[in-house]
Amino acid sequence: MERTARKRQSLLSRIMNPKYIMVYATIGIFLIIYIFGAINYGDSGFLTLRTLVISMFTENAYYGISAVGMTMVLITGGIDLSVGAVSSLTGMLIAYGVTNMNLHPLLCLAFAFAVGIGLGALMGAAIHYLNVPPFIMTLTGMFLTRGICSLISRESIEIHNDLIDALAGWKIYIKWWNEDGEWAKIKPICYINFNLLLFIIMIIVGTILLQKTRFGRNIYAIGGNEQSAKLMGLPVARTKIIVYAFNGFCSVLAGFAYVLYVKSGWNLALQGGELEVITCAVIGGTLMTGGVGYMVGTLFGVLLKTAIPTLITFNGNLLSWWGKIATGALLLLFIFIQRIVVLYSDRKKQE
Amino acid sequence: MPDNIILEMKQIEITFPGVKALDQVDFTLRKGEVHSLLGENGAGKSTLIKCLTGVNHKDAGQIILDGVEINPQSPEQAMEMGISTVFQEINLCPNLTVAENIFIGRQPMKRGRTIDWKTMNRRADELMERFHLDIDVTRPLSFYSTAIQQMVSIARAVDVKAKILILDEPTSSLDDNEVKLLFDVMRDLREEGMGIIFITHFLDQVYEISDRMTILRNGHLIGSYGIHDLNKVQLVTEMIGKDIDVIFNLKRADVKADAAYMLEAEHIGIPGKVKDISVNIKEGELLGFAGLLGSGRTETAEMLFGAEKTAKGSIRKKGKDVSLKNPHDAIMEKIAFCPEDRKLDGIIGDLSIRENIMLAVQARRGFLHPMSRSEQEKLADKYIKALGIATPDAEKKIAELSGGNQQKVILARWMATEPDVLILDEPTRGIDVGAKAEIQRLMLEMCGDGVSVIFISSELDEIIRCSNRIVIMRDREKVAEVDGATCTQQNILNIIAEGSVAGKDKEAGV
Repeated sequence: MERTARKRQSLLSRIMNPKYIMVYATIGIFLIIYIFGAINYGDSGFLTLRTLVISMFTENAYYGISAVGMTMVLITGGIDLSVGAVSSLTGMLIAYGVTNMNLHPLLCLAFAFAVGIGLGALMGAAIHYLNVPPFIMTLTGMFLTRGICSLISRESIEIHNDLIDALAGWKIYIKWWNEDGEWAKIKPICYINFNLLLFIIMIIVGTILLQKTRFGRNIYAIGGNEQSAKLMGLPVARTKIIVYAFNGFCSVLAGFAYVLYVKSGWNLALQGGELEVITCAVIGGTLMTGGVGYMVGTLFGVLLKTAIPTLITFNGNLLSWWGKIATGALLLLFIFIQRIVVLYSDRKKQE
Repeated sequence: MPDNIILEMKQIEITFPGVKALDQVDFTLRKGEVHSLLGENGAGKSTLIKCLTGVNHKDAGQIILDGVEINPQSPEQAMEMGISTVFQEINLCPNLTVAENIFIGRQPMKRGRTIDWKTMNRRADELMERFHLDIDVTRPLSFYSTAIQQMVSIARAVDVKAKILILDEPTSSLDDNEVKLLFDVMRDLREEGMGIIFITHFLDQVYEISDRMTILRNGHLIGSYGIHDLNKVQLVTEMIGKDIDVIFNLKRADVKADAAYMLEAEHIGIPGKVKDISVNIKEGELLGFAGLLGSGRTETAEMLFGAEKTAKGSIRKKGKDVSLKNPHDAIMEKIAFCPEDRKLDGIIGDLSIRENIMLAVQARRGFLHPMSRSEQEKLADKYIKALGIATPDAEKKIAELSGGNQQKVILARWMATEPDVLILDEPTRGIDVGAKAEIQRLMLEMCGDGVSVIFISSELDEIIRCSNRIVIMRDREKVAEVDGATCTQQNILNIIAEGSVAGKDKEAGV
């Protein structure tokens, strides 16, 4: 037994636990791409590129917020195609409420939360109790929500509101200790805005939920083997419904972040956004078949997806759709890595 | 005495569409006893267990646990009531760590809010120590072998501190040492006063560990006995409801002296799988294949069926050279093959019995010549009757049948093609004594009709009982060929153990 205890306590063995392979792959590939970019395009190397990635990251934070919920849904073995539409609906509700009805933006947001969480719970319940495939159920949710967006208004509605403007303009500048012995802003300017803060908080919340609560572990169990989870006496129905409801919450929060970014509501906003969100999670090492995924992975997945267009901007000669090709290639790479990991562990077990 | 009783099930009745699965079954479990639940596949053992664990719901009857009537609606509820189950298939999550699989749903918590991983891992270590398993509990379960996974699922059930522990065929994936270990743990638990329900097909294990046994047959209670009240032969007789000697009184196929060779394979082989093998089989002969798993038995059969392409040598059927590049070629040559893993390669669970039976016939006719519905029905009814498949009608889904009946359907599928050569790979695995004898009888009947049957099995006694000749394989080659009528189990075991040199001497001697 002593041997077992030592075997486990060895730091290397803990770090090399095979369950983390996918996350390592994500971080590794991010670092490779980042260093490659820094060497080739960073005029003053790392620093410039870092600031740009963080700034780009800031602008993409709403995908990240949504990806937190999506990661959980994917871990249960499901999928949610309605997130983009729900985010868009959030924008419409806030814009219409604030601009056309003169309501307080937080009241509109609260209403959006009720709609998003309710829709999520409803879809989760249908998926579990009626055994509807998640793909179909959430596709239905997506069309319905998108339709309601257009019912509210078919034109973009601008938002002029003090609170929204204040939140959108809020920034923490990242400073450094310069030679004069003073805190100074890093150049080029690099900052954390409200959206990025929200994203980071959600990643932390997501990590705690997944790793530290029974609810989170039940999510993994369901993704690993739903039948087993049921037979082990876990509350499968409740867990699945809460996961989809939580994803609805994340979509609304993401929609709010998007409103802060564009300061308007538009019925066709974030079309295809759900696929961007799924891509972030999958590049972050979440298995589409369920059971495997980490919030840290998703964080790096968003970073990685941000780094590519940044590099292309830096290059200057490439057209922007190369970003799509690079993202596709990356997705392909990760699917291959996932298959190889699965096949490898199968073979290992046979030995 | 009555306060010694922990569980009483009275007059339990469960009806499935078309079948009465349990009819007025009583079952009593005492504290501190291991109680074996026995019966053939389809006798109702699993249904009774599922009723107790809330998976199936009873239509009538009472369940009394510790003096209180209960009615569990789900495994979750049953667990809360103190009924813990280890199912035959491993019901754990491969992606979670060993420790988590043991503790999920009841993890130790820090300050009542967050999971205390350290304590959980430590307690898992302690539990594994009790099972003498030296494994890292922080690795995912999928990292370990099936046997270890099975032990982990038992560890989970044991640690729940249940009043009743149900073990549904827990030993089928364990080796002898692991079984011993499990029995040690079971004895400890019995000492502690737990009531254990034990289901197994291995009768030796029943006698080794149980205190009492209850026998079911066709959904009816046959009786409850102390372990010394019945000997093994009486037990089997009670289980199958017929005299065991009659069933085992099978006659070997009668091969005519002038019978022609049906299939001759010379020096066929696949690099890395089978070195080089020559076998032949006559009309109406039953050729057994013995050898350990992985000795090349299955691969040889697959070459004869074209599922694996032979790299060299030649195959002749009725004296004519044939080229078997894929199963379709073999089917056209009237060669049929029942693969080893019926769940994986054989049955199509969602299709009906009729559809499963007509598959191979249809494949032979080609999809341009579909069978009419009435033809299909005639075919299905004929084989359901001939093989004694227990089902209300031909439209039942095959997945709902018991293992032995599924095997009969697969057999029917190939018999329906009226083959010249029928290859059966482990047709009797995982089915009970009565169904085994039934399958063997059917094989021999086919031999009597002039079909050549190749029978692969890990169970030597049934190979010896049925075969005219036995090919013995070891390390991917044929090491001997012995006569079925004169050889003994010990002979074969010696040949398998000693290997090729000694084996070839014996071959010369036979």
